[in-house]
This record gives sequence, structure tokens and C-alpha cells, in this order.
Amino acid sequence: MILANVLELWSSVWPAGVTMLGLGSGFALVLLIASEKLKVTVDPKIEQIHEALPNLDCGACGFAGCGQYAKAVLGDPELLGKCAPGGPETSSKIADVLNLQVSDSGPQQRPIVRCRACTADKTLYAQYQGIQSCIAANALANVQACGFGCLSFGDCTRACKFDALHIVDGMTIVDYEKCTGCTACSKACPRNLIEMVPFGYENMMIVACNSKETGKSTRSICKVGCIGCGICVKQTDVFSVEDNLARIDFTRYEPNEQAETAMNKCPTKVIIYRGKTAPEPPQPGKKPVAATKA
Amino acid sequence: MKVNVKGRFSFPGGIHPPEKKDLSREVEIQPGPAVKEVAVMLSQHIGAVCQPLNRKGDAVQAGQKIGDCDAFVSAPVHSPITGKVKEIALRSHAVLGRSSAIVIEAFSYSPTRRSYFKLKDDFDEKNYSAGQICEAVRQAGIVGMGGAGFPTRVKIEPNPQMPKETLIINGCECEPYITCDYRIMLEWTNQIIAGIKLARKASGCSQVFIAIEGNKPKAIEVMNRALESFANSDSIKVIPVKTKYPQGGERQLIKAILKKDVPTGGIPPMIGVVVLNVATAAAIAEAVISDLPLTHRVVTVTGEAVAKPGNYYVPIGTSVEDLIEFCGGVTKKSAKVLLGGPMMGIAIADLKTPITKATNAITVLTKEQIGRAKFARRQTACICCGRCLEVCPENLNPTKIAHAVKYNFLDVAESYYISACMECGCCSYVCPANIELTGYIKTGKIFLARQKKKIPG
Repeated sequence: MILANVLELWSSVWPAGVTMLGLGSGFALVLLIASEKLKVTVDPKIEQIHEALPNLDCGACGFAGCGQYAKAVLGDPELLGKCAPGGPETSSKIADVLNLQVSDSGPQQRPIVRCRACTADKTLYAQYQGIQSCIAANALANVQACGFGCLSFGDCTRACKFDALHIVDGMTIVDYEKCTGCTACSKACPRNLIEMVPFGYENMMIVACNSKETGKSTRSICKVGCIGCGICVKQTDVFSVEDNLARIDFTRYEPNEQAETAMNKCPTKVIIYRGKTAPEPPQPGKKPVAATKA
Repeated sequence: MKVNVKGRFSFPGGIHPPEKKDLSREVEIQPGPAVKEVAVMLSQHIGAVCQPLNRKGDAVQAGQKIGDCDAFVSAPVHSPITGKVKEIALRSHAVLGRSSAIVIEAFSYSPTRRSYFKLKDDFDEKNYSAGQICEAVRQAGIVGMGGAGFPTRVKIEPNPQMPKETLIINGCECEPYITCDYRIMLEWTNQIIAGIKLARKASGCSQVFIAIEGNKPKAIEVMNRALESFANSDSIKVIPVKTKYPQGGERQLIKAILKKDVPTGGIPPMIGVVVLNVATAAAIAEAVISDLPLTHRVVTVTGEAVAKPGNYYVPIGTSVEDLIEFCGGVTKKSAKVLLGGPMMGIAIADLKTPITKATNAITVLTKEQIGRAKFARRQTACICCGRCLEVCPENLNPTKIAHAVKYNFLDVAESYYISACMECGCCSYVCPANIELTGYIKTGKIFLARQKKKIPG
């Protein structure tokens, strides 16, 4: 009885099974032919380059991700060295794949924040209550007395994919241990405060101010702003003053006694060290005269 | 003549916020404060920035040109007082941040004055040629006095590619609190009509509409009566438009009166229309008939936190501080100073900001009003009610754009026509979730401008 039932079942099931099997093998055949006929040849070099890249997809090179950059660099070797997080190591690896020679591109680029004013140093004319981002706050003029200084709403910290920027007491601090030099922060800053400079040494001397106002008005609104006095220029010609603002020629900078003297003589202590082991910046000793008057 | 004050001319969208015009609407235009120092901004208009014509220490006469530029889209600036150029320094500007200005120190306290202009009885616009009017307008440095500050000469000068047919005179004043245009319409009626006739002559327009909101029946009546007394004013018609915000917007006004759409990203002359503010029309009359440059303007100082709200005839370059001081100062409750009205005005942080040609009002709001304002309250999630879509006068989708900006999808924001937004603030006003829609859209525009300037790689 049972056998008869099973046989009956079988006789009704087998056509379906055979049809499925036939369909399956038929499609498999189509796929097999398609995979042979429509084969896309991927240059093995692209995969090699992709492997050499850090695969962070940070976008520092200007492409959508590491895959895009790998393709682009194969087509145009000029783009070699655009990968900031990878640095020279990655560049030489890619160069090996492409059979190219890389020349030494010099020290790596690292960001510096050209404002060292903490909350207490800044003068605020009004309280900003709008959208909490620098780019929106910057649209409303004169909320902060200094039109050049850091707004500390943290657009750069949000742009950083490596957790290398932090806002501490209104001041943006770069963690140079974590920083890969991807330039995302310098692109995010609406006031262009973050500048990429060649870090030739572990610690670099920087002028931590971006104010192009006259010395008098800078001093009346900020305790640690550059007043363009030019004392630093007298010490060493690495410094120059333009638009009431001292600047350092980073390509020629080297730690020496003159630079150290210039730093110590700076009346507003705007020349400071930034880097992996930089000491805490000194505070200006006496209160600026103009500030008390105003 | 019976006036139909129920304006039926309207546009889709818009809101009707509390008008609050009672504070200063019945106060006559008075001479402003006697100033010791004015700071005349070199950039008071849309277009190229002026170059200063004087050096530090030069003596300048009242009405003397002190800054000019060769560019077509530009307007010269003039000294409102007789004095000495103290310095050319940076001053706060509501939009540009810090911008250079010519600071003029008066030899003595300049006396307060009313407008020098008086319309002669024998006025006839036929005595002036179109070219003559355009040149006079350019030389007087007249710009749109309703807020944007676009050089008027560029607007009214005939352009063979875009022939102009219709001239609309904007006396809507849809923004709450502000009453300067209303007072000008009541007190300087003949001067405005003379200016309109000159502008019509210069631009070659065949029909003229004076748009006044229905909440100003007195102005409509006065205008109509004055038009009757003028010869050759048949083609000038007063149109009572519906009282709502932003009725005074150029595109909205054209839509309301002519039922025509200005193409997105385009300008009114493309469809043969010129829109001028009533204050601009008055300035044209002064410039052409009496050769007076634009050195003074009427500014409404208003708001619950001002002791003596009113409309004042002040020299351009007077600091906001001086003017508020002149109005009896602010009360203790003051919390926010706006250049312009509460809807489109820009909050200023520095009271030393000078008044420019486009500043129509100073509004000082109290702490309670600010506390009640939306941004102080908590923002909640969008509930997709669609109210912002209903009120948007440009038929945009503010929520979509704002969210795209918030999460950095700028291409999406662009595909929803972010650039067509005129930042009127209607969407933020009605949003029940307190989302700062206009703020995000404004931020998005800045993002896009930055992105276009810097191309990666």
C-alpha cells in the first residue's frame, strides 16, 4: 500500500524535477558562455595599486575613493603622491607597480591652525543661536569680534575621519599622532584658518594668527593676535610681515637660535610650536595696553 | 474715487505675520541725529566695489562724490556731510562682515535737516531726455532702496535685447514693523510721482502700476488723488494688492499684478518688467530735477525695545548706535538688533555698523520676543506636514532642500533648485517642528559657492 502511494507520488513529481534540472543546467550553460564571451579584463595593476593604498576612502586625493584613485593613477602617473594618508611609503609601492621612480617629495604636509585664542582670549559681540556649524555662523557677520579667528563650532572636527582634531576650550588642537594629512579639515574651514604646511621637523614653529586687521584693532579684540609689529622679522628673515600679519616661510624654516629668540620676543606670544611633542604655548605675560583702554 | 482696499491681486503661498506697524506708522518723517562722524561704505550695492577718490585728510563737501567705479553694474557713493576724511578703514557690514568705508569727520556738528528737495510747479518730464535721466541716476549713485541695493541705472536703462513694457512701483512694504515707505508715500507723494514719470521716460515703459498693500488705504487714497492732479498720468495706475508677506518681493509682485512668472534664475527685464521701490522713485526725482545725490534716506527705527520709534531722515553712514541713541536708546529688555525687518532683516552684532543706501529699518526686539522665537526652542523631527510647501512663494520644497544640506547631499539640494530660494523665511515661520529651514538653505548656498570655487585635484 505504502509502496503504491510512493510510486504514485513519484510519478506525479518527476516531471517537475526534470524540468527544474533542465532549466538549471540551461541557465548555467548561458552563464558559462556569457562569462567567457563578455569577460571584462581588469588590469591586475589596478588591483595591485588598490592593495597598496590604505583603503580609507578619505577623499584626500580628490577622487571618490581608493578604487577610483587606483584607476586614475594608472591612467595618469602625474597623480602619484596624491594619497596623503599613505604618504611616501604608498607612493613608492605604487611606483613599483607602475615601474616608475619617485623622487623625494620632501617633508609631509600637515595642517596647522592659525588661531590660538581660547574662549577667554576672544571677544564676542553677540551670542550666536543659529545652526551650530562654522559655515552658518560665518555667514552672520561680526558675531565674534575677530573676523578671521576660529569660530569653534567644529566643522573641521566633523570633517576629520581620523579623530585628529579636537576643540579644547574654544581652541582647535590637531593631534599630530593621528593626523594623516588628508586636507579634509583645511577644506572644511570657512575662514581658511587651517593651512597645510610641510612638516620638516617633529615640531614646527607657526604664527598662530590669521588677522589682517591693523595691530590696534587686533589688540583691542584679542589677547593673542598678531599685531604685525615686525619684531620677529628683525631676528631672522624666515619671518615676513604682510597685511599686518607675520608669516613663516616654512620651506626655509629650521630650528635655530634666532627663531627661538623671535618666538620669545613676540609680545602677544602668537609664535608658538605645534607638533607631536610641542610644549604648551606660553601665555602673554602682561595684559595688552589697548585692551584695557577699550 | 472709491478705493478698493481689499486687494485681490495676489500670488500663491505666503504668510500673514502680525503687522506691528502701529509703532511708527503715524510718526512723521523727522530729521535724524546731528552726526559728528559718518562711515560711508564703499560697497553699498550689488556689483563692483567703489574705489575711494580721496585720501586721508582731504576736505570734502556735502554731496561730493567720494567713491566711484568704472564697472557698469556699480554706483558711486557721496559724502552726506561737509568735513574731513578721517580714515579709510574697515567697518562692520551686515552682509560682508568687515568692509572698507570712508570715515568722514564733520567740521562742526552737522545740523539735522529735512530733505532739500521741493518739486517745482512747472515740472514736466518732457524737459529731460532718457539718456540725461539715466546719467543723472548713475551720477547720483541711486540703488534699489528696498533692500537688495541693485544699481537703478542698470535697471531703467533701455536694453535693445530686453525691451521694457511695464514699470511696477513697489509700495507694498510687506515686512512687519517697517513703515518708511508708507510715510514717504504720504508725505512725498508728488516727488514719487515725478520720479515715476522720469523712470517711465527713461525706461520707455508704456504702463505703470503702483502696488500698495490693502492695509494702507490712506496711501492708496493719497496716491490716487495726487495722480489726478498731475497731467499725463493716465497710464499710471494704483493697484491695491493683497496684504501678505512677501508681497513686496519682485517676482511675487509681478506674479500678483501681471500673472506672469519670471524664469528661475532670471531677472524681471527678461519678461519686460522693471520693479522700483517708492523710495528709489523719490530719489530719482531728487537726482534728476535738483541734481542731489543719494546721501540721505528715510530709516524706520522700531521695535518694542526702542523708546521712541519713528521714521527718520538720516545721512547714509550714520552708525546704528547713533540713531538708536537719538531715538531715546533701547530699553533694558532689548536683545536683538536687526537691520531690516524681522523676516528678512539681518541680525547685527556690532552697533557701530553704518547705515547703507539699502537699510530701510532698524528693528530692536525684546528678550521675550527672542525667547519666544523658534530657534530658542527645541527643534524636533520633521513631521512631513507640508506647510512649508504651502507657503513657499517660489514653489520650492524647503524641507527636502534643508535636509539635503544638513546631511551634505548638495547635489540633491541643487536638483531641488536651492538657488531659486530668496530666503524670505516663510517656511521657518510656519514650521511646527521649529526647523530652521531658511537657515539651512542659506548655509547650503554658501557650501555650493565654496564648492564651485574650489575644484579638488
